Amino acid sequence: MAEQALSTPSRAVPKPRPGLRTKGTLLPRLVTGAVILGAWEIVVRATAPQYVAKPSAIVLAIPRVVTDPKFLTALGQTLGAVAEGLAITLVLGTVMGLLMGRSPAIDRTIRVYINGFNALPMIIVLPLFSLWFGYSSHARIATIIFAAIFAITMNVADGARAVPREYIEVSRSFRSGKFRTLIDIVLPASLPYLLAGFRLAAGRSLIGAVVAEFFLSIGGLGFYILYNSRSYHHNEAFVGVLLLAGFGVGFEVLVQWATRRFMPWYRRGEK
Amino acid sequence: MLHTTIRRHLPVWLSVLAGFVIWEIAGRSTSAAFMVPFSETLLRLWQLTVQGEFLPELLDSAELFATGFSLALIVGAPLGLLFARVRVLRVGVEPYIMILYATPMVALIPFILSLMGFGFAPKVLVVFLFTVFPVLYNTVEGARSIKPELIEVAKSYRSSEWALWREVMLPYTLPYMMTGVRQAIGRALIGMIAAEFFLSATGVGRLIMESTQEFDTAGVFAAIFVIGVIGVGLTRIGLMIEQHFARWRQ
Repeated sequence: MAEQALSTPSRAVPKPRPGLRTKGTLLPRLVTGAVILGAWEIVVRATAPQYVAKPSAIVLAIPRVVTDPKFLTALGQTLGAVAEGLAITLVLGTVMGLLMGRSPAIDRTIRVYINGFNALPMIIVLPLFSLWFGYSSHARIATIIFAAIFAITMNVADGARAVPREYIEVSRSFRSGKFRTLIDIVLPASLPYLLAGFRLAAGRSLIGAVVAEFFLSIGGLGFYILYNSRSYHHNEAFVGVLLLAGFGVGFEVLVQWATRRFMPWYRRGEK
Repeated sequence: MLHTTIRRHLPVWLSVLAGFVIWEIAGRSTSAAFMVPFSETLLRLWQLTVQGEFLPELLDSAELFATGFSLALIVGAPLGLLFARVRVLRVGVEPYIMILYATPMVALIPFILSLMGFGFAPKVLVVFLFTVFPVLYNTVEGARSIKPELIEVAKSYRSSEWALWREVMLPYTLPYMMTGVRQAIGRALIGMIAAEFFLSATGVGRLIMESTQEFDTAGVFAAIFVIGVIGVGLTRIGLMIEQHFARWRQ
């Protein structure tokens, strides 16, 4: 017992979790932030042309941009597409993942394709999608789904495979059907994996949406950024980037919060 | 032994074969501008290779990938270790690394284009930006889990700073760093294609764009197929590297 405790002390010591609430971290963080912003401001002022984005001008541009109807429309288009794409992805990806995780035959049949598509740099399919779906928002949805679905499928499959055998045995001995077991036992037990997959998928879906808008020139936040940076409104364009960064971080924080709140027994593992 | 190997791998090969057959049938039953059968894709790939249009583009892309990726490693790994050693620094930069890690870097491409133009350097920057944050993020994550006891013991044995880095910190953070490297490989590929699509068109990216414009769907499929195979190979290598070092992890 004593030996075991000595060899695994890291398990017993709670990891300090990231976040601003940890004591004594606020000051270094604020200083670092100030240094980064200050250096950016000085370098741009000293060397770059007038139109290049700098922190002071970006801050001044924020109220102008967020009240601009064009910007709000673009934001709505991108967010709508991401939400729609993620919803489809979540359903399809979970179904595929559950099937793969619980059926070795299905796993062996389609794993090679899931791995293959997952290893493909997703944006490479853009020209093909533009041929298939035209220069339209359908191509954007397709890109988002393609970018996000394999992350969910692979994670749910891992989760469904990792369900403790005892759970399944208990549910069997109560004569629960295969479908019931899948929905009531396997799905909840693999939720942490699903969330980890969702975290990856959300980030990729944002990239997918922005890249699709660049490539297809269809309205949205990505196109807003492209258009404004081309017409030398870098500060306005950068507000869009800030918003995208905010969404990226927001998804991350949301998933971390949900994992802690609803699955406190699960320790976050990097997947 | 042989029997189990066959039983394990046979379904996979059968499935791949079935995939090619389905691809072939789907390609033959749709319009040629829409989809191309597998056989035609391979034929086109062979033509492009023989005509000398494919390999130079592939090498071009490989150069971009390798330059951006190694720059990200050269910058990301030592910086991560430095953050590991100097606590104030680490605490200070942590949230910003997290933010940049979660930011879709593609959104910066229009700025890079208008500031740096069409050369090789802006494209390397794109690959670098896609790649460096996974390395940095995971190294810092690993550094956070270094047990203070280890450093204290090393210090009480009057270990020099250099020895501390070499004997304690590097071995401890390396497995985490390699997780970052594994994630970075996939991202670097995305960065490479994004740079070739949206900055000056070169390499496989240009091949795909030009083939699309000429409605040479077979060329598009051929290029995507090759990048897919390379992607799978690189991912495998990344996983092997990660697993090799994961044995060190406690």
